[in-house]
Amino acid sequence: MNLAIIDYGSGNLRSVENAFKNSVKNNNLNFTIQVTNKLDLISKADHFVLPGVGSFPDCKKGLDDIEGLVELLRTEVINKRKKFLGICVGMQLMVDFSLEKKRTKGFCWLEGHFKKIKTKGLDYLGRKYKIPHMGWNNLQIDYNNHPVLENISENEQFYFVHSYALDCRQTNQIIANTNYSHKIPAIIGKENYIGVQFHPEKSGNSGQKFIYNWLKWSP
Amino acid sequence: MLSTRVIACLDVHNGRTVKGINFINLKDAGDPVEQAKKYSTIGADEICFLDISATHEKRRAMFNVISKTAESCFVPLTVGGGVNNINDFRDLLNSGADKVSINSSAVYNPNLIKESSDKFGNQCVVLAIDATENINMPSGYEITTHGGRKKTNLDALKWAKQGEKNGAGEILLTSMGSDGTKKGYNLKLTRLIAENVSIPVIASGGAGSPKDMVEVVLKAGASAVLAASIFHYGIHTIHSVKKHMFNNGIFVRECDQNE
Repeated sequence: MNLAIIDYGSGNLRSVENAFKNSVKNNNLNFTIQVTNKLDLISKADHFVLPGVGSFPDCKKGLDDIEGLVELLRTEVINKRKKFLGICVGMQLMVDFSLEKKRTKGFCWLEGHFKKIKTKGLDYLGRKYKIPHMGWNNLQIDYNNHPVLENISENEQFYFVHSYALDCRQTNQIIANTNYSHKIPAIIGKENYIGVQFHPEKSGNSGQKFIYNWLKWSP
Repeated sequence: MLSTRVIACLDVHNGRTVKGINFINLKDAGDPVEQAKKYSTIGADEICFLDISATHEKRRAMFNVISKTAESCFVPLTVGGGVNNINDFRDLLNSGADKVSINSSAVYNPNLIKESSDKFGNQCVVLAIDATENINMPSGYEITTHGGRKKTNLDALKWAKQGEKNGAGEILLTSMGSDGTKKGYNLKLTRLIAENVSIPVIASGGAGSPKDMVEVVLKAGASAVLAASIFHYGIHTIHSVKKHMFNNGIFVRECDQNE
């Protein structure tokens, strides 16, 4: 199998590459991993990971600057149904638009938009809810028995760092939520493409389990 | 529910972990790559490297340490020390750091916070604040640099708010009066900053026991606690700290019970 991690200038490519390589090695999976922005290499890959840190408009611009990339991803993922994982801003890009800094259009593969997290009141220890939502948090699993969540319980935690959260009407595209003052979608997706708001590459053993599940998932 | 983070910090000098009080009598204390890996395995929620190398040349060793650590350490990694400009910032991120903390350079070049958060996102910009008591300041605390040796005439609270406005994603707050004393964090200072900014505040400086960590969370509202020496000397483990926090009603990420 051939996995392409899309390189469009986003900051944490190395971390993502390291974490996926570690999972492939530890589980003896037959995967070749490439970090690339070359369209011909991307079209030859079987699976895609789209990382993303920074702001939504900056990430979108990084992608748009590689001519034909966004269209190619649509063909490969939506038409040819190749497996896709969006991480953090990579996940945010999968929906209609984001309101970060200015209204910016996403891929429109899933319904909804991102808006600034609004928190109410104080947390259970009387502390202010801080923004970004930063640190380790649990999942509340909505979609039971999804293959990417195999052997992952609601007691486990994943590393989040974000200030914008998905607002959507189609709740059937939500696989899991997290809770920070209110429910925040943590895993979204449909058929062969999913997106995670947290960073599996920085989520210790739980993150490694998730990456392994995603790698062996055959939608 | 969001866990309160426990962060393990390592002082790195010429690519090796060192121990010493106030940067004097530094003793070699091993390989930071192995130690970071160990801390992440036994439940540290984040790892923080503070580069105390004196020269730019010797800093090169740090990039190697970071890139090796990032290969096997799958929790967030913050690196600070000697970050003077946007190029230093980029080099650290490219080596594999997830966040970069800036301290003195933010004081002398306030634009660096804005520049780096615009460029790389506020999630990776940690504003490190070293504060010391000064009754002549409006908030009662003054910003110091160079390990507390230089005064700046900047008010700590005003500086923290300004840092947030310029795009810092969190604040690493060290009380210079408490650092290295093992007598507990400065609760008054931590509460002052935590209550008045909207970004997370990491309490640092003075941790001597798990009790101190509980106090700074419950009484001062810290989002995370950072400690160095109490973990290195094996007095307390990440697990014993987390267990004590949990027993006092603070939600923490589970860690390996066997360690």
